[in-house]
Amino acid sequence: MNAIMNNLEDLPEQLGVTDPWVEKGGVLWLVSDTLNVRVLATTMNARHARFVTITAFELPDGEGIRLEYHWDLDGQLLGFTFLVSDTPIESIFDLCEAADWIEREIHEYYAIDFQGRDYEPLFLQAGDKLGVNLREEDE
Amino acid sequence: MSYKIPIGPYHPALEEPYKLDLICEDEIILDAKLHIGFNFRGIEHLAETRNYVQVIALMERVCGICSNIHTLTLCQSMEKLLEVTPPPRALYIRVIMAELERLHSHVLWAGVAGKLMGFKTMFMTCFALREKVMDILQAISGNRVNYAMNRIGGVNRDIADPAAILTMLNNLEREITRKVIPVFTTSSTALSRCAGIGVLTKEKAISCGTVGPTARASGLPEDIRRAAPYAAYEELDFNVPVETGGDVRARLLVRALEILESCKILRQALAKLPPGELCAEIEDIVFPTDTAISRVEAPRGEVIYSVSWEEDSDNPSRVHVRTPTYANMPSVRWMVLGARLSDAPLIQASIDPCYSCTDR
Repeated sequence: MNAIMNNLEDLPEQLGVTDPWVEKGGVLWLVSDTLNVRVLATTMNARHARFVTITAFELPDGEGIRLEYHWDLDGQLLGFTFLVSDTPIESIFDLCEAADWIEREIHEYYAIDFQGRDYEPLFLQAGDKLGVNLREEDE
Repeated sequence: MSYKIPIGPYHPALEEPYKLDLICEDEIILDAKLHIGFNFRGIEHLAETRNYVQVIALMERVCGICSNIHTLTLCQSMEKLLEVTPPPRALYIRVIMAELERLHSHVLWAGVAGKLMGFKTMFMTCFALREKVMDILQAISGNRVNYAMNRIGGVNRDIADPAAILTMLNNLEREITRKVIPVFTTSSTALSRCAGIGVLTKEKAISCGTVGPTARASGLPEDIRRAAPYAAYEELDFNVPVETGGDVRARLLVRALEILESCKILRQALAKLPPGELCAEIEDIVFPTDTAISRVEAPRGEVIYSVSWEEDSDNPSRVHVRTPTYANMPSVRWMVLGARLSDAPLIQASIDPCYSCTDR
């Protein structure tokens, strides 16, 4: 873990944030309100980190959707969170082709528009109602 | 003049439904487009309506080949949430089940590859070998597909007959070393179908985020068992086979060598199997409001589960699964570029795709 931390020490500064890394359950998290997703993707590319996935999570009481972006750097799983409520989020698909399917999936599951990209159906069929995971049990 | 050849969603070249639109000029593939979703079941959303016992049974049905891996990764996530550590014997049994699953998955794939190359005899040989692994899994768990071995805090069943596993391993290793590997690596038919075909460069493997044997065949030495050990892998000695060719042959070779490494891991795990309980004692299962993430090296590569729970809730508030084929499949587009149309079925099969996992 120490060797990995040495490698990651300057990353927050490079991303323009002052928040520290927080280790939880084997994942190193960087949580900051000022994080920019496209700067993050560019920085991860420069470090040859492997894009893993984005997890979307619907917050209770209509507070929006939390997006957790994950990259693997030398075997260490990194996590970065973004809140999508009134603030939209930009697509990283043009910077990180591995994010294509998961952005399309989240678009279909949670009706989120990642700005700056087009969508083709992934799991749903053209014209199907978006927001599969937002449906209630009796819908 | 270019033309479009659709393969699938239901096609003899595909093991499961998906669609590959190939744009060709003469026999050469100029571009490819993939369509998935034919097995979409909305399992992640369904998981939010299941309690901690039911959700294990549900997620075991994400995949029919690596069913055990899904319950293992899910249980590891739930154990992180509950701060529960399984006893040592359970951790070793988890390794044994995971490696037996890898064995039958890799041997199945070798058989499918043999069939697609025109080696029907190799197909039959591999499936006969796989049958012996399936027999062992059935003897341990009582089932051949959904083993129901994992639970929160440990496993449900013990390894009753380690000697039977060792006998099977000796036979499997001998057949793989004497028959399967020599045929795939020296026969002119196999070489002409595999060598230099469907190349995925290391750079493209990184940018596509590929995992598992597909990544390792393109020179990326990634393996979660080594990078972030879970269960008892830290206590076991094994190699991670890596090839640099990036072609179908390299992917075939990596899996063949992994079969031998799995045999090595299984022998060690059986020899070191510690005595003791199969499951940790948990007085009351009460989840906190939190999220836990777990990763496991499935036969096709990294599986990641993110599980969230709200306090006082019976059901998880979110279960997100990222399967290896989901990460590997987009790279098929780059593998088939410039290839002959007749090689496309073998190239797409060379990532050992699983669409039940991908579509969930």
